[in-house]
Amino acid sequence: MRFDLPDTYWKKDVALFFSRRFALVLKMLYPIAIIVPVAASGIPGQYAAAVIGIVAIMAGTFGAGETLTSDLNDGILARVALTPLSPRKLVFQILAVNAVLDFIQLSPALLIVYVLNPAPLAWVLAATFSVFATLVAANSIGVFIANFTSSPADVLLYATAMLFPLIYISGFFRNQDPAGVTAVLRDFVPFAYMNDALKTVFGLATEATPLAIILYPTIICAVLVFAVCLTASHLLSPRF
Amino acid sequence: MPLTTGLRGGRYNSRAMRSNTENTLPALEAMKIGRLYRSSGRGISEVDLRVERGEVFGLMGPNGSGKSTLLRVLSTAIAPDSGGFRVCGVDGLTEKRKVRASMGLMVDRPTHYDDLTGRANAYFFARAYGMEEAKAEGALAELFDYFDLAEYADDKVKTYSYGMGKKLALIEAMAHGPEVLLLDEPSLGLDYTSQLAYQRRIRDLAGSGVAVLLASNQVDEVESLCDKAAFLHRGKVVAEGTPEDLISRVEGVRRIVATLRNPVEYGSLTEVGGVQRVVPEGRDLIIHCEERPGIVADVVAGIVRSGGDIVNLSVQRPNLEDVFVKLTGEALRDEV
Repeated sequence: MRFDLPDTYWKKDVALFFSRRFALVLKMLYPIAIIVPVAASGIPGQYAAAVIGIVAIMAGTFGAGETLTSDLNDGILARVALTPLSPRKLVFQILAVNAVLDFIQLSPALLIVYVLNPAPLAWVLAATFSVFATLVAANSIGVFIANFTSSPADVLLYATAMLFPLIYISGFFRNQDPAGVTAVLRDFVPFAYMNDALKTVFGLATEATPLAIILYPTIICAVLVFAVCLTASHLLSPRF
Repeated sequence: MPLTTGLRGGRYNSRAMRSNTENTLPALEAMKIGRLYRSSGRGISEVDLRVERGEVFGLMGPNGSGKSTLLRVLSTAIAPDSGGFRVCGVDGLTEKRKVRASMGLMVDRPTHYDDLTGRANAYFFARAYGMEEAKAEGALAELFDYFDLAEYADDKVKTYSYGMGKKLALIEAMAHGPEVLLLDEPSLGLDYTSQLAYQRRIRDLAGSGVAVLLASNQVDEVESLCDKAAFLHRGKVVAEGTPEDLISRVEGVRRIVATLRNPVEYGSLTEVGGVQRVVPEGRDLIIHCEERPGIVADVVAGIVRSGGDIVNLSVQRPNLEDVFVKLTGEALRDEV
């Protein structure tokens, strides 16, 4: 598999990811710099879980959204869209590769969290998967936002506006014991499952099971990805 | 994971898509295309165009005349408000991906992935158009060599000059062997040698049956390279024909080209009897005027009165720019 001569969109993104060495070092270090001190400290588990969750959400949403709007502004994405490639497959590749690259960034920090807070293997796997699902969901939100703006600065604004209620519903800081409508809504937010899994890793008891942590976000993310891929033609069209 | 997601066995092959029937069809046919931008109200309307296989067709018009809009519609980047077009008989509105596969495209402001090498950029696009690995590498090696870019092929694009970026965009447009080439201001920014190489290549491609539609205001280029040309003015085609035919429509017009040592205020020149228009181009003043006895002397006197120091002067036959001026009363290129 050659990355020096990329023959697919995702390989191109991987090649770009590794070509900017200084940026790569920063990307790999900042999750460690934020997450590890929190995980190693004695702060309550729900807050440690919340910090990791916020880092994952921000990395996913801003990463995909900013990269996309930047490429749209530049015109290069519109040029790629004028090749015979399927726009939906292109958007799928954008989503998938961004989620995987974000996951690579977070993996060392997660590994250290697991070393510092040993948990049953099933929960480690569930937590790891839920972080990946969060990244997929966050990237989907980033790509969705790129449909409405071509300004990377606007992405930050719109993302914040969209993420605040979702983070609230997920119970990162407040709404930790939701009831009624918020409890129902919480079940539809993939971030909530990550929060439950990470809380368990940090030794707190939750009602979630590893199976639920893997199964429900998978379904939700599949729907999200499908929906975002449907916007491909609009997303990749030139902006005037 | 294969990039190529073509219609036939996962591979597009535009040349293979031709059939005998298709060969009798025009390579590109636009029918009453209209597209207006809501924000500015500008765009194109009722544009008919026909480019045959092996024909080089020049599209000329001043900024905002609709050249780029027309190319955007024909490249399937934007949908027209009305009308339609066919590429080698394939409907451009309903079969976009098939049409895209048969076209090579160079946009007016080419962009690339700056952190990838020139070769990686070109290879990515070649594969996106369905070329097989070995063919893509072979075609690109030949093109990089042809455009004198081989030495820089493995440098990151962010180190490229503007002209090198344009050459890379040409390579990306040509590598997959398209049946139709859409080029927007292709030679702008190319050095002299590269322009010659590009023009030779276009003629060779046309010779092998490729249809080329190029939007350009480089009058010399269109005159020497194009079999046919059309003028766009305020979104409409105002004239079409071979360059010779178009130029023959201008009778009794001359252009005086005066190279000045220093720039001068030349507004008073337009008051000289018979002068229709004055356009500065670098150190040159281009004076479009009627053909009458004594006009050259009057123009020279006018320049001298304006403080101009003439270092070179030539009186030239009319060109396509004069045709456009005569047709529309406006200049092809921006006047000061």
